[in-house]
Amino acid sequence: MALLWPSLALVVLVLLLFLAERRYPAAVARMEENFIASLLAIITLVSFVQVIARYGFNSGWGGALEFTRIVFAWMILFGMSYGVKNGVHLGVDAFVKLLPSRLFRLAALFGAFATFAYAFLLLYAGWLAWVGVDISSNWRQSGAIGYWTFMFDRGTGLDDLRYPVWMQDTFGLQERVQRWVAYLMLPIGLALLAFRSAQGFMQIWRGERELLIAGHEAEDLVAENRDALKE
Amino acid sequence: MISAILFLLVLTFLFLGVPVAVSLGLSSLIIIIFFSSDSVSSVALQLFKASQNYTLLAIPFFVLASAFMSTGGVARRIIRFAIASVGHFKGGLAMASVLACMMFAALSGSSPATVVAIGTIAIAGMRQVGYTRDFSAGIIANAGTLGILIPPSIVMVVYAAATDVSVGRMFLAGVVPGIVAGLMLMIAIYVMARVKNLPAEEWKGFGEIVAGGKEAGWGLFLIIIILGGIYGGVFTPTEAAAVAAVYAFAVALFVYRDMGPMKGQPWIAEDASPSARIGFSGTVYAVAFFFVFMILSFFATADMDGVTLQGRTLVGLVLSLGVMFAYIIWRGRPHGDVSILGALRDSLPVWGRNLGLTARNFFPAFFAEDTRKVMVEASRTTIMLMFIIVNALLFAHVLTSERIPQTITDAMIGAGFTWFTFLIAVNLLLLLGGQFMEPSGLLLIVAPVVFPIAMELGVDPVHLGIIMVVNMEIGMITPPIGLNLFVTSGITGMSLLQVVKAALPFVAVLFAFLILVTYVPMLSTWLPYSLMGPEIVTR
Repeated sequence: MALLWPSLALVVLVLLLFLAERRYPAAVARMEENFIASLLAIITLVSFVQVIARYGFNSGWGGALEFTRIVFAWMILFGMSYGVKNGVHLGVDAFVKLLPSRLFRLAALFGAFATFAYAFLLLYAGWLAWVGVDISSNWRQSGAIGYWTFMFDRGTGLDDLRYPVWMQDTFGLQERVQRWVAYLMLPIGLALLAFRSAQGFMQIWRGERELLIAGHEAEDLVAENRDALKE
Repeated sequence: MISAILFLLVLTFLFLGVPVAVSLGLSSLIIIIFFSSDSVSSVALQLFKASQNYTLLAIPFFVLASAFMSTGGVARRIIRFAIASVGHFKGGLAMASVLACMMFAALSGSSPATVVAIGTIAIAGMRQVGYTRDFSAGIIANAGTLGILIPPSIVMVVYAAATDVSVGRMFLAGVVPGIVAGLMLMIAIYVMARVKNLPAEEWKGFGEIVAGGKEAGWGLFLIIIILGGIYGGVFTPTEAAAVAAVYAFAVALFVYRDMGPMKGQPWIAEDASPSARIGFSGTVYAVAFFFVFMILSFFATADMDGVTLQGRTLVGLVLSLGVMFAYIIWRGRPHGDVSILGALRDSLPVWGRNLGLTARNFFPAFFAEDTRKVMVEASRTTIMLMFIIVNALLFAHVLTSERIPQTITDAMIGAGFTWFTFLIAVNLLLLLGGQFMEPSGLLLIVAPVVFPIAMELGVDPVHLGIIMVVNMEIGMITPPIGLNLFVTSGITGMSLLQVVKAALPFVAVLFAFLILVTYVPMLSTWLPYSLMGPEIVTR
């Protein structure tokens, strides 16, 4: 039961996203885009400034490397769900496209289900014990939620990343930034991935969407320039 | 047994249309849950750790640099330079397209982007002077594959991350093979042009080469920053990539002004006097020369004693002043009434206008809609690549922890493979795999298995990497799933079958190139090893 509150928080988060999206689909889409683009901009600028500071002025920020790496991980983990929503993720569609249409739909549904299963298993695999799989019953080892909660309770700090002194003083914080802050995106990203793939499953079910995947990496690029040279 | 289940799961998922990343990740997860004592928490943590890989952090930066450079304006400048250089041969426009693809590949690590950017302009140009559609499309589809061989290349970063070979050596190793591949394509075109009597462009003189080079130079300097920085031992590849990304942003928005708030604003007004024009150009060359000199001397003298910043600055200043005076005197002579001081004075208002423009638009440039679009585009590509890579790393981890590579190595060596036959096997495996998988994902799956065998058989690690990259290249232009074929067919409106036929003669050239690269290790290893010393593999 140690995982009740974190799990509930994730459910609430997903619900809020769902409701916000029903009301303002365009704004949510733009927010998602701006979020990943800002993360990319932050990584780039911090790395660049760090290079200039190191080689130009022999100084720099000790936590820069760890910070950029964490932001990079955030970008990927948050981006997984964005990719499912926008059909960015690659897959092999050549074979399923040869199938008769009923089997094709079945395969498409399976693709969405597999993505959901991937996210859900990584979030919490403890339920496998109920169906008789020999898996550790310790909640700390049950997946992303368990691990995050464990880290939250322990409060271990990161290697190099520290809170600024004024924040330590004003809020009475410990010196090092806790690991759980960095790992926050792990359960959130996976929860969003589960949500988006479940959404994709429903869209395929209702016939609003063909597949979860993109056939090749340049689909957008080609669509933009389709028949640019047709004669 | 476990390895059989693992591969069976992955292949089943892949062919059922499950996303590549999830196919790899879910199979690994299932194996870990049912057959291993690792906890799911440790897998989740590994997902996070893999996303933090420092070498792979170079990928978003290269993607971003290439996104800023993939605008039509940059491609047009490069094509102009290429036509000025080789256009006057028979079949010159086609050779220029290959050259343009090579140069564009040096700015962008992506093959489809190269095909679209160069292809949309070059194919139309070739059609106008009477080349057949098949011929022009075939050239672009093939030359576009050079994108992943000529550095910077994302596939090479991925190979380096998977095998702990240095990224810098891999990049340098791609230079010679990239040039050889381009030359082979150009020679093939020249021979065909002689047979078919294809037209040549007129020779516009060295002035046009210089003028084209000046324009394209701003972009092409990117590759100097990357290679120079890594080779000089100044930057790590990831740092070089970050600098390259910011440089590409600055060039696209503030120098070329292809996008953003200053889009279309000329540097010099149409009605400027010759004196202002010459004075402004002269000072621009002086400033550009100064910075290029400072950056290059920084790379070259990074580990030399006795070279100080002041010393370099002084030399740089003197040299750039020399450049400025020489230019103004040289260009001013035909106009008669241009004096050095007059030209400098007349250039001041031009400088004022441009600096004012840049200062006013400096912060808006960061938040312009064009910038946002490029950032989102780059993030999408990064996410797509990294999601696959992270899961492929998970998969590779399961492979190694089940000791599958060792088993295969023992079996292969027991079966009497030599390096010669082994490399044939690698070629076949990758050509086959390249039909179904995205290059970086395939590389991460194959590398942990193939790399130990190669080391056992005495194959050079850098050479092996280049072989793998060339195989991926060919995978992009062979059916059924060749990325460049899709892209070419998409932009030309030709059917896939037509593109396949059109590309075929040049695919033969690339096959010959593959054999050359596979059995002449010198081609890949000479440049990196003479500049950076041999790669040492510790196992």
